Amino acid sequence: MRLQKSADVRFLMGNEAIGRGIIQAGCSVAAAYPGTPSSEILESLVRWKKELDHPIYLEWSVNEKVAFEVAYGASLAGARSAAAMKMVGLNVASDPVLSAAYLGVRGGLVLVVADDPGPHSSQTEQDSRFFAWWAKIPVLDPGTPAEALEMAIRAFELSETYGVPVILRPCLRVCHARQNVVVSPPSDPVDVGPFKRNWTRWAAIPRYRLVLHGELNEKLATMTSQEPEARPRLVWQGSGSSWAVITSGSVSSHVLDIVADDERLSCMNVYKVDMPFPVNAEALQQIVDAHEKTLVIEETQPVMELHLADRRRVLGRMSGHVPPQGELIPELVEQIALKAVGFEPEVRQLPAIKPRKPTLCAGCPHRPAFYMIKKIFDGAVYSSDIGCYTLGINMGAVDTCLCMGASVGMAGGLTRGPDSTGNTRVVATIGDSTFYHAGIPPLINAVHTRASFVLVIMDNSLTAMTGGQPTPADDFLADGSPATRVDMETLVRGCGVEHVEIVDPYDHDALEEALERAKRYTYEDGLGVSVVVTRRPCVRAPNVKAMPREFSISDRCDLCMNCVKDLECPAIHYVKGEKRMAIDKDLCFGCGFCVRVCPSQAIVSGGVSS
Amino acid sequence: MTELVLCGRGGQGIVFLTRQIGEIAAGKGLDVISSETHGMAVRGGSINSHVRIGAFRSPLIRPGHADFLLSLDSSETSNNRHYLKPHGIIIENSPLSDEPGTFRVDAAGLARKFGRVQLENVVLLGFAATIDGFPFSADDIRSHIEKDRRTQIRESNVRAFEAGFGAGRRPTNGRP
Repeated sequence: MRLQKSADVRFLMGNEAIGRGIIQAGCSVAAAYPGTPSSEILESLVRWKKELDHPIYLEWSVNEKVAFEVAYGASLAGARSAAAMKMVGLNVASDPVLSAAYLGVRGGLVLVVADDPGPHSSQTEQDSRFFAWWAKIPVLDPGTPAEALEMAIRAFELSETYGVPVILRPCLRVCHARQNVVVSPPSDPVDVGPFKRNWTRWAAIPRYRLVLHGELNEKLATMTSQEPEARPRLVWQGSGSSWAVITSGSVSSHVLDIVADDERLSCMNVYKVDMPFPVNAEALQQIVDAHEKTLVIEETQPVMELHLADRRRVLGRMSGHVPPQGELIPELVEQIALKAVGFEPEVRQLPAIKPRKPTLCAGCPHRPAFYMIKKIFDGAVYSSDIGCYTLGINMGAVDTCLCMGASVGMAGGLTRGPDSTGNTRVVATIGDSTFYHAGIPPLINAVHTRASFVLVIMDNSLTAMTGGQPTPADDFLADGSPATRVDMETLVRGCGVEHVEIVDPYDHDALEEALERAKRYTYEDGLGVSVVVTRRPCVRAPNVKAMPREFSISDRCDLCMNCVKDLECPAIHYVKGEKRMAIDKDLCFGCGFCVRVCPSQAIVSGGVSS
Repeated sequence: MTELVLCGRGGQGIVFLTRQIGEIAAGKGLDVISSETHGMAVRGGSINSHVRIGAFRSPLIRPGHADFLLSLDSSETSNNRHYLKPHGIIIENSPLSDEPGTFRVDAAGLARKFGRVQLENVVLLGFAATIDGFPFSADDIRSHIEKDRRTQIRESNVRAFEAGFGAGRRPTNGRP
């Protein structure tokens, strides 16, 4: 379809389209915590706000729980509001989210949760539609960026009509897809009137919670029967019609393209469900009953499939026809569909893929910190956390990675194993943003319980992995408006830690000495938790430039590979044919840390080296 | 309908290149959908992106369906070659000479000449405009790049584009 010339068409990422939908819907408060694949939602809102000169309030909250609570407060105050996060962030926010389903909302409240089947950049493959079912919250499941924009607007309408929060759940293939999308001018910000005291709702005790639960069930039942999104929609009419495919969300787009492209699948009618919960289970069952066989293709858990009472003629996850883990990429969907209708999918010779593994950037301040931790605390258990610094695994400096903040909480337990000889040493590493997010309560806990470990807070002054969003240590908000700095050192001391040092990780000797002092304090003198903050901005931060220094490798090099294996600098590599090491000038940041760590003192300033 | 796979290492500007191609298509009133890699993989890891021009809903290309593979790093080409359809075309950043079905330009070398190896992506785009069947003409691309309001970025991108385009126009082995 060719678009009319007059329409304002942009080539938008799914997350940008969602941001646009939020602002077009008359939303006036949005809060988020960054996390792949959701981060660009609030980032795009910052740009839309600027472009449209819109009054919307935007914040990067300290974590997802707070982001949701800010949005919920704004809804009670009469605004349309939104919170955005990745699916594991929804776990963090789950406490207020489940409670809010009972209490309900005033201004429309949309919770955008980005799922990551694969997983590509996450700890789990959890399905937020399944979470929505459990939480009794309606969920819309977009298939493309353009649809995500429309659904964001629709989510606000449904939320306000029924007085419930609504989840918009894009998968990574919608979040990070880009498409030509038509944008429209925003509606005026919605105001449903100021907060009115009503403690049986907004501060309900258990007796009233029972009443509210009943109300919620009624709202969901009404949506199921009244809203078109709860019903399967025929999106592709096959020529044979002996088969039905029921699908939703981003995987529905793969299904449609494949069925439309392959004669062998012409027997299939494709039905798409826009709101997989609360879904109209009777309408779903009617589809199944009207076809010889039905294939259910949804990501990543069997939400619609489990709503079918009679699954005797249904192929899906419950029957083992759809794999129970992994992303349903198009070639896999193609195989599943062809096998279902009795064709043997052609075997494609795929190359042995050797993907390059991600590494800490050249010049990354985490690299010297990890290097020195390994040197000073050889043989210790290294608990770590979620962020760029998880890549310390490549250096052998990360042993555990569970969830946001767990480096600190787990360190309190790792020192208390039954076979502990008293010599177990634990060094926890956590980034600054992750520390603010979920590291503070476990640090208080560790001090209070006299746990014995060294905590290194790797402070690069932003949320690096997700693209450099600000932290509470910054004096500006998401859109650049002024904010109050929360000082890291004061905060750590406030948690009860008495030994706190801040050091520049580029300063080899200062770093070594600070870690030695922490080791003495915690392990030799047995005085409890010590904290070393390694502070230097991320090399990708906007104002950080490569240092104007060049290094080269002299003939003193004996090919010990320390710089490649232990320091793991991506700018240094072995030149095969010539049996020598070389520094890649395009990559080298000029930090010079390698000069100090080379055992042969072969790395020297200056010279041409590539 | 044209399907393109772009590949390279994190940091080489694959996402930027994907966006340029998508914006040019959208600007011409075509339907276009693409897919990008973000997050941890971008830290120097292997990345690729898919661009589909035409009436598609899915942003992903199945193996054996791509018309073009644009590779910014020759060591990533083999990881993505399987996306090409039979007789699909490889456009590669490499100092080596062309082979049947593979057109090469030393985009990194050309970009380094004017001081910024990061411009290798735009050099490759300029070169691609000279390949038969590539969905956009040099004018399509040039007029898009010239729209950038940031003077410095616009000027260096135009320069990089012209360098790549010029390299493609020069007769090399196996091509007219």
